[in-house]
Amino acid sequence: MRTLSLLSLAGAAALAAIATPASATGAIKCQAGPASSWKTQDALKAKLIKEGWQVRKTKPDGGCYEVYGTTPEGDRVEAYFHPVTLEKLYVARRGEVLFRKKGY
Amino acid sequence: MAIFNHRFSLWILLALPAVAMLSGYARGATEAMDLLHPSGEMSARLMIIAIAISPLISVLGPRKWLQWMAARRRALGVAAFAYALLHLGFYIIDMGNVPDMIAEVLAPGIWTGWAAFILMMVPAILSNDASMRALKARWKQLQRFVYPAAILTLLHWIWVHNNLGPALVHFIPLALIVALRAFKSFPQAKQGA
Repeated sequence: MRTLSLLSLAGAAALAAIATPASATGAIKCQAGPASSWKTQDALKAKLIKEGWQVRKTKPDGGCYEVYGTTPEGDRVEAYFHPVTLEKLYVARRGEVLFRKKGY
Repeated sequence: MAIFNHRFSLWILLALPAVAMLSGYARGATEAMDLLHPSGEMSARLMIIAIAISPLISVLGPRKWLQWMAARRRALGVAAFAYALLHLGFYIIDMGNVPDMIAEVLAPGIWTGWAAFILMMVPAILSNDASMRALKARWKQLQRFVYPAAILTLLHWIWVHNNLGPALVHFIPLALIVALRAFKSFPQAKQGA
């Protein structure tokens, strides 16, 4: 009985591990329509640099643009921006949420 | 078959993911930032396996494969620490400077990582025959630092990603195995009394 429950536990854990994509952090989701209408990551980067950010990396995630960088205040953060409006939606420092736009 | 049981074979096997991570980094194919998760996850997995061996033996009874693992528990535990060290190394490279690291040290996802690392260091450094002989009964107590280290690792994982799922997938099975051992050993202790 114990063996059986342990085996099923191990099986469940293995399944869950496979089913959880490692890369999609997916802190928030954007329903921003087709990617053809999105602004470019370079445009976002340029806008942020102008505002005083340091940008280390950008990538699409959950239909948003995800940015790794430093805020003008000097916090090392992971931030999400709307790919069409480039509006700031979510900012977290090592998982600690510093900013979250209402509705996201 | 002998080659599989040679301890160097296990060491090489345990080192392979690190070689892949380091060669990717050296070639410029991956950034330090992208290696934080794989190195940390590897460390946590090895730690969980090393901790689970002895409660599994209590629960399942002596099994050949478990005894094979038990004989190699030190290598698994030390490897868990080695991956934690690699994880910390990638973190330091990614942060790039000490003031930035100090600025975020109180973030829940960060201090738990540092604390887990420091606690893991104790059993890792003492994982040698000389320390075992010198410390006698206290050696085992000091190895138990790995339990609070595991709890802090779990919190570090949850908080740094602000996400329960992946961390719990790894740690719930371990918690259940440890809990099952407690259930199982309780009646035995009664019989002995």
